[in-house]
Amino acid sequence: MIKKMKNIGMYAFLILVTFISVFPLYWMVSASTNKSVDVSKGVLSFGSHLGENLKNLLANQDVGAALVNSFKYAILLTIVSMVICSLAGYGFEIYHDKAKDAVMGVILLAMMVPFITILVPLFQMVAKMKMLNSTLGFILPTVSTPFLIMMFRQSARSFPHNIIEAARLDGLSEIRIFFQMFIPTMKSTYAAAMTITFMNAWNSYMWPKVIMTQSKSMTMPMVVANLTEGYVTDYGMLMLAVLICTLPTALVFFILQKNFAEGITGAVK
Amino acid sequence: MRKKIVAILLIATMAMGIAACGGSGDKKDDNTITVWCWDKTFNIFAMEEAAKIYQEDHQDVKIDIVEVGDVDVQSRLTTAGTSGDLSTLPDIFLMQDHAFQKNVLSYPDVFTEISEKKIDFSEFASGKTDFSVVDGKHYGVPFDNGAAIACYRTDILQEAGMTLEDFTDITWDEWVEKGKVVLEKTGKPLLTTTAGECDLLTMMLQSAGASLFNEDGTTNIAKNDTLKKVIDTYCKMKDSGVLQEVNNWDEYTGSMLDSEVVGVINGCWIMGTIQTAEDQPGKWAITNIPKLTNVKGATNYSNIGGSSWAISGNCGNVELAEDFLASTFAGSTELYDNILSCGAIATWTPAGDSDAYAVPNEFFSGDAVFKKIVDYSTKVPSIITGPYFHEARDAISVATTNITNGADLEEELKKAEDTVNFNMGQ
Amino acid sequence: MSNKPRKMTLEKKHNLTGWAFLAPAIFLIAVFSFWPMIKALVLSFQTGKGTNMQMAGFTNYIRMFQDDVFIQSIKNTFFYFILQVPIMLAVALVLACILNKKDLRFKGFFRTMIFLPCTTSLVAYSIIFRSLFANNGLVNYVLVNFGILDKPYNFLTQPFAAKMVIILALLWRWTGYNMVFFLSGLQNIEYSVYEAAKIDGASAIQTFFKITVPLLKPTILLTAIMSTNGTLQLFDESINLTDGGPANASISMSHYIYNLCFKYVPNFGYAAAMSFFILLLVAVLAFIQMRVGDKRD
Repeated sequence: MIKKMKNIGMYAFLILVTFISVFPLYWMVSASTNKSVDVSKGVLSFGSHLGENLKNLLANQDVGAALVNSFKYAILLTIVSMVICSLAGYGFEIYHDKAKDAVMGVILLAMMVPFITILVPLFQMVAKMKMLNSTLGFILPTVSTPFLIMMFRQSARSFPHNIIEAARLDGLSEIRIFFQMFIPTMKSTYAAAMTITFMNAWNSYMWPKVIMTQSKSMTMPMVVANLTEGYVTDYGMLMLAVLICTLPTALVFFILQKNFAEGITGAVK
Repeated sequence: MRKKIVAILLIATMAMGIAACGGSGDKKDDNTITVWCWDKTFNIFAMEEAAKIYQEDHQDVKIDIVEVGDVDVQSRLTTAGTSGDLSTLPDIFLMQDHAFQKNVLSYPDVFTEISEKKIDFSEFASGKTDFSVVDGKHYGVPFDNGAAIACYRTDILQEAGMTLEDFTDITWDEWVEKGKVVLEKTGKPLLTTTAGECDLLTMMLQSAGASLFNEDGTTNIAKNDTLKKVIDTYCKMKDSGVLQEVNNWDEYTGSMLDSEVVGVINGCWIMGTIQTAEDQPGKWAITNIPKLTNVKGATNYSNIGGSSWAISGNCGNVELAEDFLASTFAGSTELYDNILSCGAIATWTPAGDSDAYAVPNEFFSGDAVFKKIVDYSTKVPSIITGPYFHEARDAISVATTNITNGADLEEELKKAEDTVNFNMGQ
Repeated sequence: MSNKPRKMTLEKKHNLTGWAFLAPAIFLIAVFSFWPMIKALVLSFQTGKGTNMQMAGFTNYIRMFQDDVFIQSIKNTFFYFILQVPIMLAVALVLACILNKKDLRFKGFFRTMIFLPCTTSLVAYSIIFRSLFANNGLVNYVLVNFGILDKPYNFLTQPFAAKMVIILALLWRWTGYNMVFFLSGLQNIEYSVYEAAKIDGASAIQTFFKITVPLLKPTILLTAIMSTNGTLQLFDESINLTDGGPANASISMSHYIYNLCFKYVPNFGYAAAMSFFILLLVAVLAFIQMRVGDKRD
C-alpha cells in the first residue's frame, strides 16, 4: 500500500516535471502553425497557417543548404571529438600520475575564459591559416574540449583495472586495449558525450558567424537569427524555423538515449 | 573489432580531408560588388532592386548580396578591425546610423571615405547624413528614413470624441491631458513603450535638437536641462497611466496589434509592423510627434533608427562601388519608387517629389503618408551622436528606470554622467 | 634485483603511452585555446582604442573594481550561482535516480521530454520565457485567476523578480542536460550493490546517500565544475531575457564584457582583464571542488 502511494507520488512528480518541460515546447509547435499577429497576441491553440509559414520560410531563406551545412559540421565535429577526447580522457585516468593530474587541471583553465575574449586572437590565427569559410576552421577550435576530456576521464574511473591487467597479460597493445575493451564498455558515456557534443556543435553561433562569411556556408542557427533581425518579425515563420532547428538534436537524443540509460554496461564483469 | 577501428579512423581522416577541401577564400573580382545587409523584405529587397537598375547600364557588374544581421555585421567588423585582417569584409555593408561614429573612430581602416564629387550629399536631409560624417568626411550613403511618426487608431480616438487633428502639432503637456481623457473614456493608454529602453527618450531629446554630448565630445548629461525636461515629461506620462510600459519588443508589437493601446510613436519603419494587423485597415492614421513644452528649439520632428550604406576598407574597386551608390541610392527616383512597396522611404529629397510618394495609402486612412514622412524628415534637427552614444543611452536608461521608481533626478543624472565619463576615461 | 630495471622500463613505457594518448587533445587545446588566451592576457595589460594599444600595467585590473556596473554584475552572477547550481544538480540527480529505476514505465518518454528543453534554440526559449512572464502572460493569468494576486505583477521590471525569472529559465533549460550525465554515470554502478543494500534493509533515502551519491562522485564533480563554469560565464539569458535590466539589476559579467566588446566603443584590453578575473573565480571554485571530490579511493 505504502509502495503504491510512493509510486503514485513518483509518477505525479515525473508528470509535473514533464509538463513544465514540455509546455513551452508545445507553445513553440503551436506558434509555428499560427499567423505572426496571433503569435504576438499569445494565441495558444493550433492554427492553419503552417503551410503558409513553410512557404514563406522556404522563399525567405535557404533552409535546405543551412541544414546540410549544420549536419555536416555537427557530425564531423562529433566524430572527431569523440576520438580525440576519449583517447585523452582514458590516458589521463588509466596512466594517471602527478604530472598528468596537474596537466588536467591546467587544461580545465582553457574553458574558464569567456569565448569573446579569445575570439579576436583566434580569428587572427585561423585567418592566417587560411581556414576562414572552411569546415576545418569551424571544427578545429572546438574539437578538443576540456569538458569532454574530463567527462571521459571521470567515467574511465569506473573502468576496472583488472581488465587492463588481464588484457596486457594476453599481449594486447595499449591502443588495442583502448579500442577493444574501453570503447565497447563505455557505450553509455560515448552516447551521452555524443548527444551533448552534437547539440553544442549544432547550436554554436558566435564562432561560425564570425568566420563563415559567405552565404553558402550559413548554418541553421544563423538562419534563425536572420529572421529576427528586420524591422518586422514574422513570428509564425520564425517559430517554424526554430522548430526545424530544434528537431535534429531532439532526434539525436531520442536515438542515443537508450544507450546511456538502459544499463548495457553489464558487459564488464 | 579491428575493422571497426579502421572504419572509425578512416571516417575521421576522410572527414578531415573533406573539411580541408572546403576552405577557399573570397576571390576578389573587380566587377563584383559584395554587399552585407540584413532584412529580406526591406534592405535586401532594396539592394536587389538597386542591383537591377544598375545592371541595366552595367551588364558586366555583379552584385552579390549576403544576408548578415546587424548585430553580426557589428561583431564581424569589430573582429576584422581589431585583428587587422580585413579580408573577410565585403565591398559595401549596411550599418545602423548610431553606430557609425563609434566604428569609424575605432576602426578607420574598415571604412573608405565616400567622395563628395560622386555623391551630392546636400540632396539628403542633414539630420540624416550627420550620423555618418566624421571629421567632415562622409562615410555613409543614407538608406532608409528614420523620421519619427506618431500613429494613432482613429476609431478609438473617435470613441473618446477626438480626431487626429487634436494630436497634430501639439506639445507633450497637451498630449498628456488629452491622453487622460482618452484613457478615461476608452480605458486604453495612448502609447506603449519598452521599459528600460530609451528610444522614446532619445527621440524626444533629438526633437529639440539636444544631444547627450557637447561639440567637443564631453558628456552633457548632469546639467542638460532638455534631458531633465524629457525625463520629467516621461515620468508624467507614465504616472498618469497614459503611457504603458512593456518589457520587450514582442510585447511592444503585441500591445499595438492587439488594440491594447491607442497609438505608437517610433521611426516610420514601424509602419511595416502595423500593417501586419490585417484586421485594422483604415483605422490607423499618421501625424507628427508632440514637442517638448517651453523648450527652446523644440520641434515636432525627430528621428529613430535608420541605416546607411558604407564602403569597406576591403573594397576591391572603390570607384565602382561609389558609382553604384551614386546611380542608385543617391540618384535614382525609379529605385525609390520601386522600393516604396516594402516601406523603405527615401531620405534622398528628390525622391519625395515623385508621384509614387503622393499616392494615398488605404491602410493609413487614405493619407499620402510617404510624402508626409519625407517632409517630416527634412525638419528633423541634427544632433551630435558621438562615439559613446551607446554608453550614454544605457546610462540614461538606468537613470530613467531608477527615477521612475522614485530616485532623485539630479542624483541619478549625475551618476549617469559619471558612468559615461568612466567609460570614456581610458 | 634483476627484476627492477625491467619494471622501470615498463612503467616508463606506460607513462609514455599515456602521453601519446593525450598528445592530440593537448596539442589542439594548446594551439586553439591557450595561445589565444596568452594573447588575450597580454592584451589585458594594455589600454587604447581599436587597434591602437599601449602597455598600461595593471590599470585595467584596478579599473574594474572601480566600475559600478561590473561590481553589480559580479553580485548578480554570484546570486545566480549560489541559488541555481545546487538546486539544479539536486533535481537532476533525483530525476536521474527515478528514471533509472528498473520497474518504471515509459522511461524513454519521460527521459526525452525532460531532456528536450536544452535542445530548444535560444531564440525560441527566450521568446517563450519572456511571453510567459509578460504582464499579460500566462503566469500572471494563472496567478490572477487563482486569486493569488489581485493584479498582474510585472516580473521583468522588478530587480529581484527579474533575477528569479533568469534562474527559473536556467533551471528549466539545464536540469535535463545534467540529468544525462547522472544517468550515464548510474549505468556504471552495478545493480547487485543496490540489491545487497535492499537485503540489508536500507531505506530508499539511505541507499541514495550511502550508495548512489558516493559512487556517482566523479560525475557529480564533473557536473559541479561544468555548471559553475557555465553560470559564472552566464550570457545568453542575461542578454536575451532581461537585457540586463531593470537598471542593470540582472546583468551578468559576460554580458557586460560583451557590451564592452561589441556594443560600446570596443575596449578589448579592459574586457580581457575582466575575463581573466572570471577565470580566476572559476579556477578557485573548481580547485575547491576538485579538492573535495577528486580523490581516488
